[in-house]
Amino acid sequence: MEQALLIGLFLPLVGFVLLMSLSFKISRKMTSLIGCGSVFIAFISFAYLLHFNNAELNVTLFSWIPVKGLSAPFSLHLDPLSVQMALVITGVGFLIHWYATGYMEHDACFARFFACLNLFVFAMLLLVLAGNFPLLFVGWEGVGLASYLLIGFWHEREVAAKASVKAFVVNRIGDLGFILGMLLTFYIFGTGVIADVEHLALQKFQQGDVMITLITLLFFVGAIGKSAQMPLHIWLADAMAGPTPVSALIHAATMVTAGVYLLVRMNLLYILAPLTLQIVGGVGAATALFAAFAALGQTDLKKALAYSTVSQLGFMFLACGATAFYSAMFHLTSHAFIKALLFLSAGNVLHMLQGTTEMGKMGGLSKYMPKTRWLFFIGVIALSGIPPLSGFFSKDLILDQEHLQGFDVLYGIALCASTLTSIYLMRAYTLTFCGECHLTDNLKKDVKEAPNRMLIPVAILAILAIFGGLLGYGFGKTSILEENLTNISLNTAENEIVHSNLMTSATLIAVICSLGGLLVGKVLYAKVFKRSEDTPLLLTRTFYFEEMLWKLFGYPVVLLGNGILHALEIKVVKRAVVILGKMCDTVAGAMQRMQSGQIRSYAAWMVAGAALLFVYISL
Amino acid sequence: MVVMEIAPLQWVLGLVLILSSLGVLLAKEAVHACLSFMLALLTLAGLYLELHVELIAALQVLVYAGAILVLFMFVIVLFQDAHAKILHSKARSNRWLIVSSASLFAAAFLLFAIWMPNVNHHVNQGTLQPAQFGTLKSIGKALYIDYFFPFEAVILLFLVAIVGALYIGKKERS
Amino acid sequence: MDVTFFIFLSMAMFVIGIVGVLFKRNILIFILSIEMMLNAGNLAFVAFSKTWGDQTGLLWVFFILVVAAAEAAIGLAIVINQFRNRQVVDIDQYDELKG
Repeated sequence: MEQALLIGLFLPLVGFVLLMSLSFKISRKMTSLIGCGSVFIAFISFAYLLHFNNAELNVTLFSWIPVKGLSAPFSLHLDPLSVQMALVITGVGFLIHWYATGYMEHDACFARFFACLNLFVFAMLLLVLAGNFPLLFVGWEGVGLASYLLIGFWHEREVAAKASVKAFVVNRIGDLGFILGMLLTFYIFGTGVIADVEHLALQKFQQGDVMITLITLLFFVGAIGKSAQMPLHIWLADAMAGPTPVSALIHAATMVTAGVYLLVRMNLLYILAPLTLQIVGGVGAATALFAAFAALGQTDLKKALAYSTVSQLGFMFLACGATAFYSAMFHLTSHAFIKALLFLSAGNVLHMLQGTTEMGKMGGLSKYMPKTRWLFFIGVIALSGIPPLSGFFSKDLILDQEHLQGFDVLYGIALCASTLTSIYLMRAYTLTFCGECHLTDNLKKDVKEAPNRMLIPVAILAILAIFGGLLGYGFGKTSILEENLTNISLNTAENEIVHSNLMTSATLIAVICSLGGLLVGKVLYAKVFKRSEDTPLLLTRTFYFEEMLWKLFGYPVVLLGNGILHALEIKVVKRAVVILGKMCDTVAGAMQRMQSGQIRSYAAWMVAGAALLFVYISL
Repeated sequence: MVVMEIAPLQWVLGLVLILSSLGVLLAKEAVHACLSFMLALLTLAGLYLELHVELIAALQVLVYAGAILVLFMFVIVLFQDAHAKILHSKARSNRWLIVSSASLFAAAFLLFAIWMPNVNHHVNQGTLQPAQFGTLKSIGKALYIDYFFPFEAVILLFLVAIVGALYIGKKERS
Repeated sequence: MDVTFFIFLSMAMFVIGIVGVLFKRNILIFILSIEMMLNAGNLAFVAFSKTWGDQTGLLWVFFILVVAAAEAAIGLAIVINQFRNRQVVDIDQYDELKG
């Protein structure tokens, strides 16, 4: 069992090393084989671990930081939650790797791409399998690094280079919270092992304790950075400058879910801090709504999907805020399938259109790419929450939670966001696939359906999107997911919903709203706003959020820097250095006078010294 | 200071010693200074004889007065024209520095002189019979047996000095 | 014998030697004054050796004598060398170590 874990974790790393070192010597076929193969075998290993019926396993490989009070061995912790995440990562990851062999076939740096993707898979697996906080942080930073490498994969393009730096830096801001939380944990609990921390917390602290609140808040700040919640969501839209498989894997299915994973992993701690949970729920709801509006206003297909991701992550945090950790994980899983599906179908379109992402230049593609069109459509209705597709079950679970637990404001916001989801998704679909064709004539000649290599993985994802709901909802019996996630207990509301049938009023309202949204979207964008340029600028600029951030934070820092440069650096520091130099000169000049070369003077100094010595000894 | 324990000869010799040392300083000609120094050395030899360390007295006369001083005399006579030229140029060392350090030193010694009551005035018998003290036999024994290594080292030093002096004094063959 | 007498004598000779080193510009008198200081030391050694009855003092005198001889020889060789370069015996003119 240990071997399966270690194979699963380290095989992508081996893949990375192989591909990086042999990148120029092996053929494309070999590269794809190594890249996809490593992830596939990792998936098989983790699937094999499912056999063991939710056992928990701790494997320590070596003692990494043996400092007392801050000790962190390289120890892996396997439990149902981490197996679940690992399966999502490697499973969806494998499909995306397969897809990418087709998408990146014209690219010169083929091997580097797959190497970085493998590195990412390894780092993400390390994150979910880590047994203590420092190791988790290694994985956390590792995915940040892989994200930087992959967003800036086409590093000659200035947009991509800037976007990768922006992603890394904004992540770093969140990491400050993570580090502080980690250090505070070490200080309060004396250990960094996550399981031990949770046990100790349950024993020693009561609900609402200040320290627990502080720790959970700090870790949440880290999660905000990684999962692109407000106000640190600014990097995700720009991150779309990377290749589409990257957007699908990292910025839809896995890396951004690391924040949610962190909260779910520490759920026992979060339950002890109701204030933090309120903040989490509030931030999640606000982000969900804000991002939904933003997605409505984007003219770039990938950016619309990016904001959709932000919005759905908001939903997941909303669920966490209501202590509905099971729902959050369920939504994480189904969202991974659906978003990967959407991104990869969009990738098909982009691949054929040779990289144009503006929806204004698309339109009417349904006759050129019928299969992709249907796949995208499946994604749209899945995410909108139309039964019986998976999105319905997971999203509805969250909405019902809010309603049942009495968070009416949050429920209302979530419902609005959900409706907006269907509207903007339909908008994206309509502008891309329906209506008049705005393609240039050159492209019209070349555009055709995507090759099988790029269609089959997407089709598999579509099947998962359709039937994935059955994983989490058992129609009165325990579902597969529930069985497997035994270490996240369902709260009472979840229990109630999951084991009942779903014909509550809240469900009906939600479904009606979603259907209505789809209709509204179709009508609006097929008949009324026929061109994407009709989008109000306010929305496209996401309510000028980034401009505001610049005015509030960026510009004062620049002013401060300039001020320091002109006032402090030139006047004070430079002068000080010059004065120091002159002082040395003066002293040296004075001391040089002693070196007169006159032997009698030297003798005089010696005599004076001897006299003093004589006095000292005789006293 | 107890006067009774000093023989009058020692007083006289001491006085001559001081005077001749001053003579070295105050002489106008270098040759006179050298001769004055010779007088000082001989007086010292006399004092050693008074103290009944005959060997050292003999060595003093032989080595110091007889060899070193002769050497000095040779060199002074060799440069006899140059001695007067000193008066033509100005002194370039810092006068105040020299004066102050000399006075500091003199003051230190003076201080010591005033604070010197704890010195043992009496003769200690020591390990040797007074008759055997300072004789050639006993010194020779000590030198060749107890202090043989320094003896050899000093011989080596002499060798080095000879070679060095020869080398330095050699005329450049251009 | 009173050892303080010899100590005073030795000290006086030593001070005179120091004054000679500091004030005399003729390099030969300079070296002569150094020899005077060594002799003062010798006198002190002999006096104390006689006081304690310890022969080691005399051995020290012996070695100082030897070293003084060697040093005088080399010193004079150096003076002769310098004289060949500069034609003066003024110690204030030998200032090439300046800097």
